[in-house]
Amino acid sequence: MVNFIKPLRARFPGRGNHPADQSKESSLPGASWKEQVLSPDLETNLKQIKAILDKCSDVVYREFVFAQNEQIRLALIYTDGLADKTQVGDQITKALALEVPMAVPGQEISKNRALEFIKQRGLCINEIQQTSKLRDVIQAILSGDSVLLVDGHDIAIVNGTKGWASRAISEPEAEPTVRGARESFVETLRTNTALLRRRINSPNLKIEVFKLGEITNTDVAIAYIEGIVNEKLVAEVKSRLQRIKVDAILESGYIEELIEENPWSPFPTVNHTEKPDRAAAMLLEGRVAILVDGTPFVLTVPNLFVEYLHSPEDYYERFIFTTAVRILRFLSALVSLTLPALYIAVVSFHHELLPTTLLLSIAGQREAVPFPVFVEVLVMELTFETLREAGIRLPRPLGQAVSIVGALVIGEAAVRAGLVAAATVIVVAFTGIASFTFAYSASIAFRLLRFTIMFLSAALGLFGLISGLALIGIHLCSLRSFGVPYLSPVVPMTGIDLKDVVFRAPLWAMFTRPRLIARQNQKRQEQGLKPEPPETRPKG
Amino acid sequence: MLEQGKIDSRQAILLIISLVLPTAILTVPAITVKHAAQDAWISIIVATMAGLLIARLVTDLSLRFPGKTLFEYAEEILGRVPGKVVGFLYIWWFLHANALIMDEYASFLCSAHMPDTPVIVFFILGIAVAACAVRNGLEVLSRFNQLFLPLFLGLLLVVFILATKDMKVTRLLPVFDKGAIAILKGAATPASWLGEIVIFTMIIPFLNKPKEAYRVAALATLFTSFYLLVSILVAIMIFGPNVTGHWIFPTYNAVRVVSIANFLERMESIAVAVWMFGGFAKVGVFYYAAVLGSAQWLGLKDYRPLVAPVGVILVALAALCENIVELLDFLATAWPPYALSVFEVGMPLVLLIVALARGKGGEGT
Repeated sequence: MVNFIKPLRARFPGRGNHPADQSKESSLPGASWKEQVLSPDLETNLKQIKAILDKCSDVVYREFVFAQNEQIRLALIYTDGLADKTQVGDQITKALALEVPMAVPGQEISKNRALEFIKQRGLCINEIQQTSKLRDVIQAILSGDSVLLVDGHDIAIVNGTKGWASRAISEPEAEPTVRGARESFVETLRTNTALLRRRINSPNLKIEVFKLGEITNTDVAIAYIEGIVNEKLVAEVKSRLQRIKVDAILESGYIEELIEENPWSPFPTVNHTEKPDRAAAMLLEGRVAILVDGTPFVLTVPNLFVEYLHSPEDYYERFIFTTAVRILRFLSALVSLTLPALYIAVVSFHHELLPTTLLLSIAGQREAVPFPVFVEVLVMELTFETLREAGIRLPRPLGQAVSIVGALVIGEAAVRAGLVAAATVIVVAFTGIASFTFAYSASIAFRLLRFTIMFLSAALGLFGLISGLALIGIHLCSLRSFGVPYLSPVVPMTGIDLKDVVFRAPLWAMFTRPRLIARQNQKRQEQGLKPEPPETRPKG
Repeated sequence: MLEQGKIDSRQAILLIISLVLPTAILTVPAITVKHAAQDAWISIIVATMAGLLIARLVTDLSLRFPGKTLFEYAEEILGRVPGKVVGFLYIWWFLHANALIMDEYASFLCSAHMPDTPVIVFFILGIAVAACAVRNGLEVLSRFNQLFLPLFLGLLLVVFILATKDMKVTRLLPVFDKGAIAILKGAATPASWLGEIVIFTMIIPFLNKPKEAYRVAALATLFTSFYLLVSILVAIMIFGPNVTGHWIFPTYNAVRVVSIANFLERMESIAVAVWMFGGFAKVGVFYYAAVLGSAQWLGLKDYRPLVAPVGVILVALAALCENIVELLDFLATAWPPYALSVFEVGMPLVLLIVALARGKGGEGT
């Protein structure tokens, strides 16, 4: 395996042999304007900007004069659709052209003082910045801000007028819960940070923004809670993000794949969520969240394997029930990985494992089946996977049709035609259902590995199955996510953190944060919070 | 340093249990019961004493040379050439022991579950899995072990409790029937298994708290002995000494008899499945010791290139053994004097004495 990977590595140089000082040149031609600054002359500036934004039909240029004073010419530039039109109209154009003369009648404003005056008394916009760099100007225009140029000044005023049509906050589709917040992250970064801030009203919640993607210039934010988070982790996240030099970031998956520690592993080592309450809980345990503009999926690191078997609801329901459900989920994970392989091993090699009546029943069903059990299971598994994929890709109104056909074909026709045994259908269906009980991104890893184990099991029975599991176990033990062992707190064992793996301790008994994640600030809450009736409560 | 990882004391305890128990629980009961009949449990207690002494010996020796493995301080103590000779002998012993472990492992699986599969398949796949763990280093090996060994230990305990239904305490009588000589003879084999703790010398340098090495070694030995003791008691109390002595794998048979309410039965398959993980771990530890030792012996900077060649040698060595009768005979008669007197007690003792005489190494903490 190693020998096959080596040439691949040479062809796709990854971490380590990356040329450190790779040029920062954009992959686009004509980038010479990037270092230029504005000139005092309005016409020159406009000409230059128009040249850069040539054939960008969505950019709007509005030239007008300040306070009906022909001396002071202004130009406003914004992108139609990205900037809020009413805001631009009311608070910039109208305010500067009409309202200022009414507010300060008769006052003559010289050309030199115009910029200062506009900033102090003219604009009704709250969020303004100024810049003299052409690069920033272009960036501002294209990200929805409107830029005001004043004749005679080589400084532009950037007005925060971002306001585009976006999807409303809706229910999380990928992580539904019975109890808990119904809000989901959306595609707009600002809305997402607001959703986080609404849950954590603390000055310690820090949100830092970067721009990534040489062409897309996507806003990427990292959020963490100062005082809880491990400072080294923040530094590591930042350095891994800054390493990214790609032309586009269209989804957080791009970032995930570029900051992972184990790019060859089938298991994800960066978790993602679309639920703000879950993201907030992650932050409160000392993790770092990475929010990417344009996607509702927020990344959280470091990631432990057990997270995939947990649900945000686990902390909202009573802990006894949660523990029971978690046991169910852990067993389901095991089933989704091994059940078909176990079935193959038992039916083809280890008949003694089954009670006699069950064995006879299965043998009876399989009498007419023309294939060996491995082929039978493999075909059924592939059919199931096909149906599942079709169910996702099909236009929604057609989804119904697929499930009907699937149920009929798999459930009835195949068995009646004698192509597969009914027991095989039960095994495959149960495996499929079991794989839906835990997080999707881990279940796809299990789906892949299930086939590998099936092969081993068909060749070597139980020994093959166990060898496969051992190999997966060894692989999982060797994984790390941002320095934290993937299987912790189980191995290496941190006793106190076992409170939240299978067993979920009651909230009043969770005194500490995960030890390997929140290294510096372990203490979550005081002890002795257990609610008690007034008679037995200690006095004072 | 060849190995960057560090393991904690709990992982070390579990690793040493894995180092001894998985095959000990298979073959040791029959051999011990053959010698000492119903007094076999006394043999185990005697062997435990010996095991604790050996544990003390190797820990004492290792702690005089903090951060160094057997291969490094053997040269420091004896000088370059004699040190190399000792190192070479230990590499041989690790390989030989590992080949025997593979033989036990494969012949057990063959006779218990898969009689039609050629043993070489078990050798190759078993070594391949272990190689995967060894390549990833001590840390991953001990984590893997920590993940699965508790399952094995827990399941074994549950099965033993379920088997109490069929036990009769009177089968342990009369006590001390065969006399002290028989008991001591019976103790030789378990002692030679417990003495495999000599591999701990390869692990001590990588403990994150080397000061706890004594505790680790003692606890691990006691744990292992406890399981050996219980499995022997269970086997004798269910089948009596005569039947137990004639079986090859009495513990496996003890698990087989468990049958409760026509539902909780055929536990042996689950037990074997979980036991296989222990087998991988045991092979892995010996494999790791051999590979790390060879790398140090050859003065390499990295032990990973040696993983594959050593694996091939292991498969070839394991394939030398003809059948299970020959294997058990070797384990019962030749193994205790060979392993116990030379590698587990003899050489460490010589090393310690010479170290003391020549004033090598620190005082030991």
